[in-house]
Amino acid sequence: MPLARFVVPLLLAGCLCSAQGTHTPAVRHTPPTSTASVTLATAPLLAPDACRGAFVTHRLDFTTGIRLREIGTYISNGSGVAANDLDNDGDIDLAFASVDGEGRILWNEGNLRFTSASLDDRFARGVAIVDVDADGWNDIVFTHRGLAGVSYWRNLGADDSQASSADHRPIFELSSLPGVDHYAYAMAWGDVDGDGDLDLVTGTYGAELKQHGIDPPEEDPKVGIVLYLQDEGVWTAQVLDRHAEALSVAILDLTGDGQSEIWVGNDFALDDKIWKYNANGWQRIFLFTQTSYNTMTTDWGDLTNDGKLTLFTTDMNPYDISPRTLAMWVPVINQLVPHHRADDVQIMANVLLERDSQGRWQNQATARGVDASGWSWDARFGDLDQDGYLDLYIVNGMIATDLFGHLHNSELVEENQAYRNRGDGSFDSAPQWQLGSTASGRGMIMADMDNDGDLDIVVNNLRGFAHVHENQLCSGASLQVDLAWSGSQNINAIGAQLALHTDKGVLRRDVRASGGYLSGDPVRVHFGFPAEARLDRLEIEWPDGEVSLVDAPLRNSLLKVTR
Amino acid sequence: MTHQTLATPQLLDIQTAFPLLRLLNPKQHTRFVLASLAVGLIVSYLAVAMGWLPLWGATALTLIVLLPAGMLKWRDDHRRYGATIMGLSILVTAQGLHTVEHLVQWTQYHLFYLTMRQSNGLLSPANAEWVHFVWNWLVLIAVVALMFGGMRGVWMWLLFVVALFHTVEHSYTFIRYQMILRELTAMDVLNVTAQGLPGIVGRDGWLARSEWTRGTWICTIPGLTTAVRLDVHFWWNAIEMAFLAVAGHFYLRKRFNDVA
Repeated sequence: MPLARFVVPLLLAGCLCSAQGTHTPAVRHTPPTSTASVTLATAPLLAPDACRGAFVTHRLDFTTGIRLREIGTYISNGSGVAANDLDNDGDIDLAFASVDGEGRILWNEGNLRFTSASLDDRFARGVAIVDVDADGWNDIVFTHRGLAGVSYWRNLGADDSQASSADHRPIFELSSLPGVDHYAYAMAWGDVDGDGDLDLVTGTYGAELKQHGIDPPEEDPKVGIVLYLQDEGVWTAQVLDRHAEALSVAILDLTGDGQSEIWVGNDFALDDKIWKYNANGWQRIFLFTQTSYNTMTTDWGDLTNDGKLTLFTTDMNPYDISPRTLAMWVPVINQLVPHHRADDVQIMANVLLERDSQGRWQNQATARGVDASGWSWDARFGDLDQDGYLDLYIVNGMIATDLFGHLHNSELVEENQAYRNRGDGSFDSAPQWQLGSTASGRGMIMADMDNDGDLDIVVNNLRGFAHVHENQLCSGASLQVDLAWSGSQNINAIGAQLALHTDKGVLRRDVRASGGYLSGDPVRVHFGFPAEARLDRLEIEWPDGEVSLVDAPLRNSLLKVTR
Repeated sequence: MTHQTLATPQLLDIQTAFPLLRLLNPKQHTRFVLASLAVGLIVSYLAVAMGWLPLWGATALTLIVLLPAGMLKWRDDHRRYGATIMGLSILVTAQGLHTVEHLVQWTQYHLFYLTMRQSNGLLSPANAEWVHFVWNWLVLIAVVALMFGGMRGVWMWLLFVVALFHTVEHSYTFIRYQMILRELTAMDVLNVTAQGLPGIVGRDGWLARSEWTRGTWICTIPGLTTAVRLDVHFWWNAIEMAFLAVAGHFYLRKRFNDVA
């Protein structure tokens, strides 16, 4: 049911605006240059239907990988899922990529009911829902396996003259992104050059290209890490690197200077890489003292509410060391012989990076209890229990006849891993949340799918139904924020930094439309906090550096901030 | 003239100052030892080059060829100094060779940048778990025997503790090795090795991955819970060898002084 039905929008005038000289340096160092006027609309969130103190798993009408007689590498890598409001009804809809069939939109009808509609886009890997053309309707973009690039499904909007809700849905048209012509496996959207419009970074996956006869991949002109800078709807490609095994691409400010860098997580022995723009153009920089060897995903957040950024990547490392588990892994471990070289900073484990007192990024994954989570794919930080601290969820599993032929159905069955943030940035395993699904998860997003304020989790499982894990923890309270930057080419303000000042601390989030493993995050930002927390103000730093302040935002509400 | 007169006594003094060197000196068996070593190395080289033996087989062959010379030498030690010192002589020699094995592994990994699985030394490819399990029990038994034979003291007790824990570590890895093999057999996986997995200490070992320690400071104790297995055992063996050498040094100095 559309959220608008429950909403009596409160149009609050205007805007409070003052520059904040003490804004946290670790998230964005550049002091805001000016202030931005905004209008506010607040809608209350729904009360939860049920409170079981755990997550409840529901099957979604989407499968991928079941049409294949057998799954080998790299079909085994599966596909992603994206979340955002596609029909502007206030509910977050879903778009699934399929590795063996066509994609699918799940229209959110409310109360975790979805209507399924197929989308004739086949053999896709990554997916993001992003308003590419800034027309106020979110579009869908896919990347693909094999020798294919990006496909762009332009949202033409809804036909308001139609009466039924099904007819009222937007129409999508396969369109082109002029200048975007390389193969693409992973992607990220963001305003990389700070000119106000959305740019695109894509990466290819060399191992799979070899299966398609592109060998060596780096000699093919359509291969590599490619930055597409947009200028009025036309993209200009710049190849950053011909060598790519990219499973995850991220755009964020790693150096704390207010400029975005490009961070690519590569599979196998190929290093994860970072590019930074300087006077000589985009140059590779070296920041990390340790990285995952087979980097599957990238994520980041402020785990301790002190303004310090923490980065996280996943790899393959058994989550328990029982003989039974190791016996399942050993035949594969023996094949996964890592290269070893003098300056190698890679380690076959999850890596959680934080800056030390000298500013060097150091791996704290073992100390924080998240170094080994299984054969891990996507991982996301999110405040699942709404205690004010970002928790962590990691999806696991592997299916591959050529790797796990010794196991039933060639499948390494593993439980997904949920970790609760203790509040100091270290984690406890949280089996009580009942998120240990053994479906073979790949892409994953966190979003409030039922508008009850807390984060639910949607997973695109390989060779099985997709799942939505409904959050019924019923703890804490929340504030969700939609940003709208009217007149801008970055209409959802992707890259904006938000800081919610409470008496329990300052909670920081950023607006994203893509992320993790082949998936697309919702642009709606979720803040969780203890129920008794006092909300002092919300500070929004827009992608252009301007700042807006919202005093005393209402708890348990969806706040739409329009600039 | 003065220098010449002092030179010879200085060389002699080395063996006086370091009685272990005096014990390990093959003396009249030097030629036999060297000849055995030469024959062993040549035959082993040919065997490997011709593909008759794997490297571990050739290493074992060299040790077997050296064994008669060693037996003669140790028989002389027994006649000269008694059973305990002969035992010490055998243990120091054997542990020294074991140290070479770990040194080769360390060199392969850290200097030649071979992978962990490739850095398995000279003898361990035979079966690292069996080799080290048997070896460490033999070392522990030998240490206990030497202590019963009168070789005691702080350094010997330290050696005993280290050897005991080293043996526990290898017993743990050996038992888990057998359990994993059983699991693999149940899965009809018969051609896969499960050697070289972490033990109690080191990265991904029991101490680092136990439910009780995960996410605590214990998981990041440098070396103890962070080092790879190859490094853990290199240093474990090095410490064991150092304690053995120091314990042997003090014991022999006293015994040789008593004899003098």
